Amino acid sequence: MTNGTSSQLGSFNAGFAFAAAVTVLFNTVLACVKDAYRPLLSVMNRVGYHNWITQGIVDVILFFGLGLIFSNTSFATRMTASRLMSTLVICVIVASGGLFIWYLLF
Amino acid sequence: MNVNPSDVILMAHATFGVLGTLAALWVFVEALNASEANAARTRTAAALVAFFMAVTCFVGGYWYVRFYPADRAMILKGPWPFAHNVFMETKEHLFFATLILALYLPFAAGERLASNPAARKMVLCVAALIVLTGLTMEGSGAIINHGAKLALRAAVGGTQ
Repeated sequence: MTNGTSSQLGSFNAGFAFAAAVTVLFNTVLACVKDAYRPLLSVMNRVGYHNWITQGIVDVILFFGLGLIFSNTSFATRMTASRLMSTLVICVIVASGGLFIWYLLF
Repeated sequence: MNVNPSDVILMAHATFGVLGTLAALWVFVEALNASEANAARTRTAAALVAFFMAVTCFVGGYWYVRFYPADRAMILKGPWPFAHNVFMETKEHLFFATLILALYLPFAAGERLASNPAARKMVLCVAALIVLTGLTMEGSGAIINHGAKLALRAAVGGTQ
């Protein structure tokens, strides 16, 4: 999984790191949108028996799908490791704060 | 002793969540002291994080879908409706972020951490995020639990 240099992430590591960041943000947006748009909630309830189950399945598929795509392209490896790391941290902070504020206000 | 399946599943999901959080802390400590000697142990711990969080997801998800609706109705009628409206809603959706981080951790820990400072920092960062969000889950669970307790007390006419 290493590309031989000691200061860069390997392609799998970088690809799945970026996939994790995107999925965490997507999960947050989906939680808010399904809450605000009832037809989507109904569809999600029908697809996976419960909207929460559907959301979990979509998240996991998205993570592994994007991870494989990003691992096989140079997109994620072009980013520096510190930039990938800060992207992931910011996404998790935005997700945590965003979800809490959304449910607090709405 | 009256222990029903709902109680067992509820306790199991919290237990596996704690085990996942502790395993993430274990990965953090191993990564702090990364060397060739502890590389295999770090990878094992990272795999355990993913495993425990996946089990938490299945067990907690089953309880949430099967048993929680009754508790939710009770909490919403009680003195702490925000225990569901804010904390449960945030917890159930933020958990997916923890799960995704836990599934990613074995990829990050698969690198040679002793000779790759960037990969080591990434493992430290992800493990720390899992610990922090895991602790947030546990704290939210305590608030939800207390919301249900207060609602039960109010329902039977007790003092709050």
